[in-house]
Amino acid sequence: MISRRVPLARRALFQDRRRAGLTTAGVAAALLLVLLLQGIFDGAMRQVTAYLRSSPADVVVSQEGVRTMHMSVSALAPDTVTAVERVDGVAWAEPIRYTTTVLARGERQQLSYVIGYDPATGRAGPRHLVTGRAPRAGEIVLEEIAADRLDAHIGEQVTVLGDQFRVTGTFRGGTSIANSMAFITTDDFAARRGDTVAYILVGARPGTDPAQLARRLAGELTGVTVQTRQQFAAEEASLVQDMSADLMRIMTLVGFLIALAVIALTLFALTMAKLREHAVVKAMGGPTGRLARVVLAQAAWSVGLAVAIATVLAVGLGNLVERISPAVAIAIEPASVARVALVTLVVGALGAIVPLRRVAGVDPASAFRRAS
Amino acid sequence: MSTVSIHDLTKTYGHGDLTVDAVRHVDLEINAGEVVLIMGPSGSGKTTLLLMLGAMLRPTSGSITIDGTDLATAPERALPPLRAHHFGFVFQDFNLLTALDARENVELACNLVGVKGRAAHQRATELLTKLGLADRLHFRPDQLSGGEKQRVAIARALANDPPVILADEPTANLDTSHGRAIGRLLRELAIRDGRSVIIVSHDQRLKEIADRVLWLEDGQFRQLATMATDPVCGMAVDTADNPHLEYDGRTWWFCSTHCHDEFTTEPERFIAPEVTVGGQ
Repeated sequence: MISRRVPLARRALFQDRRRAGLTTAGVAAALLLVLLLQGIFDGAMRQVTAYLRSSPADVVVSQEGVRTMHMSVSALAPDTVTAVERVDGVAWAEPIRYTTTVLARGERQQLSYVIGYDPATGRAGPRHLVTGRAPRAGEIVLEEIAADRLDAHIGEQVTVLGDQFRVTGTFRGGTSIANSMAFITTDDFAARRGDTVAYILVGARPGTDPAQLARRLAGELTGVTVQTRQQFAAEEASLVQDMSADLMRIMTLVGFLIALAVIALTLFALTMAKLREHAVVKAMGGPTGRLARVVLAQAAWSVGLAVAIATVLAVGLGNLVERISPAVAIAIEPASVARVALVTLVVGALGAIVPLRRVAGVDPASAFRRAS
Repeated sequence: MSTVSIHDLTKTYGHGDLTVDAVRHVDLEINAGEVVLIMGPSGSGKTTLLLMLGAMLRPTSGSITIDGTDLATAPERALPPLRAHHFGFVFQDFNLLTALDARENVELACNLVGVKGRAAHQRATELLTKLGLADRLHFRPDQLSGGEKQRVAIARALANDPPVILADEPTANLDTSHGRAIGRLLRELAIRDGRSVIIVSHDQRLKEIADRVLWLEDGQFRQLATMATDPVCGMAVDTADNPHLEYDGRTWWFCSTHCHDEFTTEPERFIAPEVTVGGQ
């Protein structure tokens, strides 16, 4: 059995349950704001990278200087696919055509990336169809949320690239608040937008390191940018990050500042209310370090509880929001929670500085002054 | 043998021309098992003396020796453990930690000397039970009466078995019966356990339990009351204004008429040598 000390910090913190509840709620609310923002950000990244994350490709080849699919235009020379296939270590090379357009059905519209691919190999298409089958000539598969927004069901027509396409299937992943993805055959795409290849997805031979293959491709080809799939996904993510970084930073800072204010005020109020008792403990022989640990433990308790509550609420709210509005993905990642917890611990320690100074300055003799 | 030895103790506040001697050249020996009551008017230096005795205030000059350690010169870092091991403090306002229950208040004192867990738990339970608080172990201070709070505070003071108990107005916030009971308890702690009990108080009732009463005025001991022992209850009594009678060629002093009357019914039962405890 571990020899425990009297849990002075916990007892004092929760002596006034209303105050403890308000503190925890205040800090949790601030952290909830931070976690939700981070969750929305992570969710958006998940949506943006959904296509690449599910792709069987090891390496992605794009036009020189183009590092993402989103908000980018890439055009490769027609012989690039053959050139890629000749490089040692390449198992397969799959060209895709790509553009941004509007899908329309009646009055309904949906901004979307349209990818032209070869359904025979399926390598560049959607990985898992939720309903229906892969497209043939004059056909299209839609992301299920986009299909729902367009009220387009299998067998119905949508207007894409100026023509009518029949919906033959739906897949999941890739629709955000603003955008979606759709797949048609590479021939349909070429017939309407020319035969330019935008990107080439490359599979490595077994035993070939993707990073090494990417370097080799970059060395042997000209006018291209070669990245591993992970690098490409990271570039996509950083694009989202760059777009929202300022807002994220400001809101996160606001969240942590609120948390800091709540923790600091609570610890200060609690410490001031207990100064006489701290003096008594010092008079009894309690070292300042013991009392400092009490203040720090109170900060840790406040932070720990608030992080736990904020996490539960964030996950719950995330699920709720996704149910109400499926295009909004809120991903509460363990890494985000850990990061928020760590920063909040630092915030808690900062909030404890003034109380710690007060505790250090408590004169044990003040225990003998008459209580007013 | 003296537990606490004070020699030429002086505490001066202020600097230059604006200095005040709160305590001036005080000498005092306090023996094990002795109850010393320090009385005096407000501002006489009682609290200053108590704080210096409790290693919470450095004297300007002189020494306070306890178990061979001079508190006046001990390094600052050594003072908290010295206080934890050598002194038990009893306060006027009880000063129990309001967030802790009775047992935890006592356990906390044990924790301060490194006794934790089950050992501290048992020690606290044992002390509170001895002081008649077995059914109040889990009561928080706001659920206890004044007398109960002071008994918890005394249990806390005893937690680390200190040789010296320092009590600051221990009966000030108690009614007569509780005040008397606490006084008897402090007396018992001295006699039974051989502790030195030093009480600073205005409460005249505490003279009954003191072996010595010291009058502090202007930072110096001015007057020393002569005490005698009540042959019936064993309590130290002031020879100035308590009931007494002549028997067998001697003067016998009593704490109350009750003891006086009990003595007169069968004097031989109670006869013991007179104890006169003197001071400096």
